[in-house]
Amino acid sequence: MAQATDITTGTTASWDGEGRVKVVGILCNWCSYAGADGAGTARLRQPFDFRIVRVPCTGRIDPLHILKAFEKGADGVLVSGCHPGDCHYAEGNYYARRKLELLERMLPQLGFEAERFKYTWVSASEAQRWQQVVTEFIKGVEKLGPREGRAL
Amino acid sequence: MSPANGNYEAVEQRIRELARAALEEGRVDYFIGWTTGYNESEVIPGFVRSADKVDDLVWNPLAAYNLTTFLKRKMPDPPQAKIGVAVKGCDSRTLVSLLQENLVDRERLYVVGVPCEGIVNRRAVSKVFANEVVKIEVAGDQINVTNQDGETKQLAREDYLLDHCRSCNYPNPRYFDDLAGEAVPEPEDQTPMWREIEEFEALPEKEKDRLMAEAFEKCIRCYACINACPVCYCWDNCVCRSRQPKLVGQKVNAQENLMFQMVHMFHVAGRCPSCGNCDRACPVEIPLYLLHRKMNKELKEMLDFEPGIDLEQKPVFQTFDVNDPFGQH
Repeated sequence: MAQATDITTGTTASWDGEGRVKVVGILCNWCSYAGADGAGTARLRQPFDFRIVRVPCTGRIDPLHILKAFEKGADGVLVSGCHPGDCHYAEGNYYARRKLELLERMLPQLGFEAERFKYTWVSASEAQRWQQVVTEFIKGVEKLGPREGRAL
Repeated sequence: MSPANGNYEAVEQRIRELARAALEEGRVDYFIGWTTGYNESEVIPGFVRSADKVDDLVWNPLAAYNLTTFLKRKMPDPPQAKIGVAVKGCDSRTLVSLLQENLVDRERLYVVGVPCEGIVNRRAVSKVFANEVVKIEVAGDQINVTNQDGETKQLAREDYLLDHCRSCNYPNPRYFDDLAGEAVPEPEDQTPMWREIEEFEALPEKEKDRLMAEAFEKCIRCYACINACPVCYCWDNCVCRSRQPKLVGQKVNAQENLMFQMVHMFHVAGRCPSCGNCDRACPVEIPLYLLHRKMNKELKEMLDFEPGIDLEQKPVFQTFDVNDPFGQH
């Protein structure tokens, strides 16, 4: 069976998807998406088990969107936006922060390991930091492996 | 919760007097209180529309129903009616939550506050007999239960209180126009207690996952929880019944059911004081308190916030503080 090694996380998995994790990233258009784009332009190595959803602002994200991603089979969800104080819309991420913090605290009650969800802030100029954040997050999810027998 | 003083009759009389006066003077078109159900084992919501019917109203430790549910916007019938309502401590907190968001009209409301000494868990009491319970009587610290064959059992009131009554910090209403009876002593230490969820919280994630799946497999999606919820009010715009956006499907399986319940939980976050109306409404006994009690615990830790305490407070998710002590990184 054809194997692929993810150079950044060091894990080996088959190409047909067995043993691979699905990780969804929800990134704000103005900071984190640009940061991830910058990381690509700079040819920084990034893990490939990662699917990005671009949103106008983290304030647009409903905690239910994240739960929906989990329900549809995601093994981890990473949310990233502008640093507090740097929001393109001035205050969107302050509202987001409260909702995301509550979600993060509620997830263990639903049977999720803490490593499966993270929210963080990465600016457009922080390509290096983006590489570090996404690599660490996916390493954490890969350690847990795909979710099975789940309530949600 | 302190032992009962058994002052229920005096309070009941006072509720009737206040309701009668309000109806006779035309200050309300109808009064929502508690009344006896189809037998003496149950207390249900009662709508009193004329002064000569106020003697139907009762007050005893079976009056669990949170009557502010009937105040949700668009629910009043007819829409311009002036409504009188009786509230316990926890009910008043949901009323404060509704008032904070201008969801009910204060001018059209007459609120009778009822100091509460704890409500008996009727569901637990009715299970002490295999057949039907026809009468539950609370006398002091004792509960006398009678079944359809006339057999009786005595139970200790303390063992059959609702979970959230045992750790209640706000037995007196937070908002009312008239108080029916004297305020009961409030606990000096008002730090919330969360002992009913501690056991579940301590379980490993895999076990919680399994138990949640088991609990939500039973859900029949009757929507009783959201209909009984006093602070859940989207009605026709509810995302649970919407196909665009389609957050929740109409399939009834554990995942969709839990997703549906999470919609409820996240949408009432900051308004829900865990009055327990959803738990009591659930026909398949899903332990919903594991979700809303947990949510309130986390809100308390995150923002030092308790829902429905202060009329002037802004709902937590409609505002923010740049110095919120999380998500700084």
